Amino acid sequence: MAGAITAAVPHVAETKRAVSTESPAARRILISITVLFLTIFVVIPLINVFNQAFSKGYEAYLSVFFPQRPDPDAVLTFSQKRRLAEAAAQAARTWRSIGLTAAVASIVLPLNILFGLAAAWATTKFNFRGRALLTSLIDLPFSVSPVVAGLVFVLLLGRNGIWGPWATKLEWPDPFSLHWVGFADGFWPLAFGQTHVGIIFTPLAIVLATIFVTFPFVARSLTPLMESQGTDEELAALSLGASGWRTFFKITLPNVKWALLYGVILCMARSFGEFGAVSVVSGHIDVNDTMPLRIEKLWNEYNNQAAFSVASLLAFVAVITLVAKSIVEWKAARDIERSD
Amino acid sequence: MTIEVRNISKSYGPTKVLRNIDLTIESGELVSLLGPSGSGKTTLLRIIAGIEQADPGSGAVVFDGEDVSGVDLGRRGIGFVFQSYALFKHLTVFENIAFGLRAKRRRERPNEAQIQEKVKSLLELIQLGSFAQRYPSQLSGGQRQRVALARALAVEPRVLLLDEPFGALDATVRRELRSWLRHLHDTIHVTTIFVTHDQEEALEVSDRVAVMGHGQIEQFDSPQEVYENPANAFVFKFLGNYNVFHGRAGAGSFVRPHDIAIFREADGGQPDARAGVVSHIGFGGPVVKIELEGADNHRVDVELTAQAYHELKLERGEKVWFAARRAHVDFPLDYSI
Ligand SMILES: Nc1ncnc2c1ncn2[C@@H]1O[C@H](COP(=O)(O)OP(=O)(O)OP(=O)(O)O)[C@@H](O)[C@H]1O
Ligand SMILES: [Mg+2]
Repeated sequence: MAGAITAAVPHVAETKRAVSTESPAARRILISITVLFLTIFVVIPLINVFNQAFSKGYEAYLSVFFPQRPDPDAVLTFSQKRRLAEAAAQAARTWRSIGLTAAVASIVLPLNILFGLAAAWATTKFNFRGRALLTSLIDLPFSVSPVVAGLVFVLLLGRNGIWGPWATKLEWPDPFSLHWVGFADGFWPLAFGQTHVGIIFTPLAIVLATIFVTFPFVARSLTPLMESQGTDEELAALSLGASGWRTFFKITLPNVKWALLYGVILCMARSFGEFGAVSVVSGHIDVNDTMPLRIEKLWNEYNNQAAFSVASLLAFVAVITLVAKSIVEWKAARDIERSD
Repeated sequence: MTIEVRNISKSYGPTKVLRNIDLTIESGELVSLLGPSGSGKTTLLRIIAGIEQADPGSGAVVFDGEDVSGVDLGRRGIGFVFQSYALFKHLTVFENIAFGLRAKRRRERPNEAQIQEKVKSLLELIQLGSFAQRYPSQLSGGQRQRVALARALAVEPRVLLLDEPFGALDATVRRELRSWLRHLHDTIHVTTIFVTHDQEEALEVSDRVAVMGHGQIEQFDSPQEVYENPANAFVFKFLGNYNVFHGRAGAGSFVRPHDIAIFREADGGQPDARAGVVSHIGFGGPVVKIELEGADNHRVDVELTAQAYHELKLERGEKVWFAARRAHVDFPLDYSI
């Protein structure tokens, strides 16, 4: 997947300055190898994404997202009309995939922040039986192939799954279809315009699969910092009469804010780019396409230029993420240093 | 405020860390908990603070006659100073000290002007008036320590609990802060308990010293009493260096190095003087440490004042006589530290 962002396990803790003992020649060779490797595997593919996206020119790139409107006065042949309608339908699908990707991320992120904070808090500030097990369970998504994770969801929630009978009948309202209906028939002025039935092969399954692959990020970026900080500051705040909430918002959260943001960035990058797990639970239905799935479909339809155009959006997000990540990483490392 | 610890026990799993501790601290006293590492000092202090809970079914912690065992840490009216200082890294010195005032419930909370005034006066008290806008990372260890103390004092606690307040500081700063703490206590008279494993510090600063060992209070007395009349061998041994002379009855005679006199002449006025050879001289400023080798290679440590040392004009390899001026004889020998 050209534009997919593969976010590695965060290593916030390991940013101590390196001390070099190698000769200048060895250093030059090592640096050259690294630069060469990065050029071949990161820089060239990244440039290629944009190159392909703009291969038919700027107009063609834009028309992937904003298809040409037929001139109302022009007389068009049947095939011209068909081609225009086709392009409009493709663009609509692309926009839907962008919307779905953003929607999924906007649901997954807050949940993962809550989960990550709770998990990091539990595993670093309390001592309890099974803590080590919990810590390694949090890492599970890193060691399980996303495709397998997707399959597990299908096996659990699908027609013949263990929870299948319940899951296939579950009705859930689409949170993004919430709209204003006024006070005409009741006290509550909002209503859902759309409900879905079932979980697998609906956007809900995509949300579940994305949560699964992204939940370690926030917890993992918080744990090293919370561990090194211990509980003394919180205890001090409590002993000064602060409430639990005040202690959390005034002491704990400010102390971990950069590490939290770092985790959020990784989590977001991954939720935009996740392909495997999402692909399995989407059922390859067009309305369930996220951006990576949409890219694959365009590619399979030999629409390379369009595929790369969508991929260029992901690549652009990746570059921004990278910059944001480096800034935040630097700030988070500083927090760890300070807590020593 | 008086603090009573009544029959408190604490175990971590199978290990008993505190065994039936009883301790009564009078209002306005400055008491130190002194003991070797692992003797349970921190645990006891944390139980008094309410950070840690005593074993269920064991005794109670009583403040001014009121059982506070079930009262939350934040509602006990304590000021706790952590060994690590636990300053809020992301807040300035000013905001650190103001934290407890701002955290008060709306009805009790002072207004901004009062907070400013209170924090300023505390900054003066800790002699850091010009450091209000610094962050903890920009302070020295001793300055951090004082900020931590001021932060705890800001909420006007009924008790001040200090866990090894000077543990992480170098010797000079330690001594300075030690006498500063004593002066502070003389001005504000808040009941204070501090933990230390430094004998000198405990003896010098406190009104009374509680010597802890093996999860028990071995002795609780004035510094002089603890030092001069130790309740048992553990206390004696913990409070300083000592020599053991074997008596005839199997009991040992314990003598502090500075309680040994050295004579040039065999009959230096002491009938029971023994002979020894000077094997080492360590010059330590006001005291000089002399190592003697007595009969059958028995090593004896002696401490002389610099003046006595100069008067004697001792040299290595010289033969001298020594005798105990004062000994503690009533401990059984097998009591180990
Ligand atoms: N959370 C814990 N879990 C298990 N054992 C503990 C815990 N905290 C303390 N202990 C044990 O309790 C004993 C007393 O510990 P405590 O910290 O009170 O000692 P201390 O007298 O303060 O020692 P130090 O001078 O080294 O600080 C030690 O043997 C320690 O190993
Ligand atoms: Mg301790």
